Amino acid sequence: MSRFALPAFTALVVLFTIAPLLVLMFSSFDDGRFFRFPPRDFSLRWYHAAFASVEYRSSLLNSAVVGLIATGISVTFGSAAALGLLRGAARSRATLEMILVAPLTLPLVIWAIALLQIYAWLGIGGTLWGLVLAHATFTLPFSVRVMLATFASIDPGLELAARSLGARPWRAFARITLPLALPGLATSAALSFFISFNDVIVSTFIAGSSWITFPVRLYSQLRGQGIDPTTMAIGTMIIVSILIVVGLTELFNRRTLRA
Amino acid sequence: MRSWDNDGFATTGTSARAVIERAQTSWLLVPGVVLVASVFLAPFLLLFAMSFWSQPEGTLLVDPSPTLGNYQRIFSDGFYLRGLMRTLWLSVATVLISLILGFPVAYWIVRRARRLRRLVTALMLLPIVCGALLPTLGLVNLLSPLGIINGSLRSLGVIDRAIPLLGTQFGILIGLVQAFLPLMVLPLVAVLDQVPRSLEDAAMSLGARPAQVWRRVVVPLAARGALAGSVLVFCAALTSFVTPQILGQGKIATFAAMTWQQASLVLDWPFAASLAMVMLMLIGALGVSVAVLRRSLGQRL
Amino acid sequence: MKTSRYSMSAMVCAVAFGAAASAQDFSGQTLVVGTWGGDIERLLREHAAGPLEEMTGATVEFLLGGSGDRMAKMYAERSNPTMDVTFQNIYEAPQALADGLVVAPDETSDIYADIWPGMNNGCYAMSLVGLGIAYNKDLVEAPVEWADMWAPEFTGMIAMAPYPSSEGDGLLGVAARLEGTDEKDPDAAFAKVAELGPPALTYTSLDEVFALMDAGEVAMAPMISGYVLAALKEWDNIGFSFPTDPGPVLVRDMVCQVANSPNPELAAMFIELALSPATQQAYAEEILFGPTNSKAVISEQAAADTINTPEEVETLLQLDWPFLIAQRAEWTERWNREIMGQ
Repeated sequence: MSRFALPAFTALVVLFTIAPLLVLMFSSFDDGRFFRFPPRDFSLRWYHAAFASVEYRSSLLNSAVVGLIATGISVTFGSAAALGLLRGAARSRATLEMILVAPLTLPLVIWAIALLQIYAWLGIGGTLWGLVLAHATFTLPFSVRVMLATFASIDPGLELAARSLGARPWRAFARITLPLALPGLATSAALSFFISFNDVIVSTFIAGSSWITFPVRLYSQLRGQGIDPTTMAIGTMIIVSILIVVGLTELFNRRTLRA
Repeated sequence: MRSWDNDGFATTGTSARAVIERAQTSWLLVPGVVLVASVFLAPFLLLFAMSFWSQPEGTLLVDPSPTLGNYQRIFSDGFYLRGLMRTLWLSVATVLISLILGFPVAYWIVRRARRLRRLVTALMLLPIVCGALLPTLGLVNLLSPLGIINGSLRSLGVIDRAIPLLGTQFGILIGLVQAFLPLMVLPLVAVLDQVPRSLEDAAMSLGARPAQVWRRVVVPLAARGALAGSVLVFCAALTSFVTPQILGQGKIATFAAMTWQQASLVLDWPFAASLAMVMLMLIGALGVSVAVLRRSLGQRL
Repeated sequence: MKTSRYSMSAMVCAVAFGAAASAQDFSGQTLVVGTWGGDIERLLREHAAGPLEEMTGATVEFLLGGSGDRMAKMYAERSNPTMDVTFQNIYEAPQALADGLVVAPDETSDIYADIWPGMNNGCYAMSLVGLGIAYNKDLVEAPVEWADMWAPEFTGMIAMAPYPSSEGDGLLGVAARLEGTDEKDPDAAFAKVAELGPPALTYTSLDEVFALMDAGEVAMAPMISGYVLAALKEWDNIGFSFPTDPGPVLVRDMVCQVANSPNPELAAMFIELALSPATQQAYAEEILFGPTNSKAVISEQAAADTINTPEEVETLLQLDWPFLIAQRAEWTERWNREIMGQ
């Protein structure tokens, strides 16, 4: 009984989590401008539109660039800070930890407005770096929290053992701790990237005209025109491509294991 | 509670080298703290100052002469405090539900999923992948009076009239859990991954029952992950705007919605800033009372 | 096809501006225009940005967002603006001018004279739309009047936009008139709107309202023509009415030149192109936004769905926007409390 309880429970929770996305994927094939259930006609109209739109392509590219740089900063700084907190000598650990997670507690809208004012005083409004730094800052807490949990659950005895056998500190860290931390690093990177990629509020205020991101474009026409179903098609394609990548790595792994 | 927190580096080294190394490791904190200090704390201090400013009549420009007017307005008026408290309660509830739903899922992913592991992890990540807006509209199609849930219940003859799910706190809660569950599951998975399987097996071979293994071995080791996940879920729910706005149909005022209304529509930034400051005070109070509760329970949690 | 259209407009503009303007070279400069994404951005790119780039060698970039976001941006960046031109609502433009954030329209210019008298306010008037009523055709019988929203069977079945907004202020203005007074009497206005019962829904996008209206959960919603009319072609059982007692509330989109912006000359040229008959005709034909330029000529079909003559404007309800703006903070509190019942 209990053998089936856990998988069944998991299946239900996963279904609950992805149900709205299934609805979304389904509706991207609805021919109408507005989704209704059941749809009247199915078509690939919005997929054609997605590929035809230069604006969507360039804004998706902007989002990807901003997301990748911000993720790089967030994961490196976040992991370093987590290590520093755990293994460093800092006395005010709790305070530092709080500071690092603080960006999560303010609604982004009011923070972005204040940041915009400061950027304007400094004359860096509308620049890529201004935007990237903002994204790195609000994704940093995710990296810090996940890496704190990850590093704390790795037995430091392993690294110490390697060092007592003569490995240099950095090498010992790179050979022992880093590989063990990979799942945590991957989680931090995925969270940071997608949270940055989907941000509307900060980007609306901070992004300059050369760096309009995909969600800003989507949101800027939402109030007036409503949702462009093209974005559902794009969302579906992103989901499917992630699942394909996962499937391929899985296949690849299994091949190499067998070989 | 056992984790590698007060780690081996601390206990093994009282030698001079260890002390120096600890000091050096502290430098790793610098980039992160500098980033947060310049990009977050600077605007935060501006907001803190701004919460004591005011907006004279007839203009949207602010008058920086100090006043407590904004705070008086919040505390003398139940509307805003009620909204803030409601948001706190929704966030805490979201954390608890996510914990209950997320823990078994994370455990299953780490221990049982095997070949399905990557796929299920990826599926759990999807709500974060798509942002808040589109999944929320998908939820509307599920929860609305003519949505899939009410529709199926009605056709099964379970109910006569649609159950109102939108525009209620319950509906918002469903949306928040759906949106932020990954923030609980993923850190849990990352941490549970480090828990050696052998530990559980050892406990089992010593005659512990599965439930005992869970309570005594797995849960304490995963507590760090749960804490990480809880902080992320709590903050995300607290400042979430799109989900409560759409699922609450604008009927339920939340922290982010009130702040957005003041900051972006009314453009009364001093008042929006003071709302944020009051919320921080409430979070602080909540944190302190949780700490006191933990202490009085003898740190059994 | 596109290039030829650009060069045509460019020629027209070169004539309009005279030799002095066209001789000047702005290459290397970037004009930043804040506006809404979607069709508006596309039409402005085709009819204003494209020709301007061709004419001056400058680059035009669009900064996308909602009008409230742009208003916030203007105030936050007051010391160092990055936007040159911004599109705002009528309930924002006069305030921006009063606070010195935008350049007042040049009353001596030709383009000012081309715009219908009384429409410029704070900034130049870009397009005319009216607040009317979208309704479920099965539930409500045409012709639909404002008073129908107060029919007892529809209590709690009216959807509303978030407040503050043109829609919210417009509804208050209408409610006051139904009580025989005007928006200067907020007690009457709020009491009357409160009689509608708590809104069935506060919507942030058309998709939300239309789905519930189609399903019969929402009977009516005060909505602004333009996009709504264009969208309704997809919904068989949703109609839109321009009421007569009182008439629809006149709502305008405005185009503003940001004060102390980096490229004032280009900004002025862009605004002139945006207000030109070509752009305004495209607005009317494609998204049913009524032209403000008296020289714009539009098809009969578009004329039926747009507000496009001074006579039509006469029948519309005009609110005292500067007064409403001054009440914003207080009325927002009242709205939250008395209308939303929060």
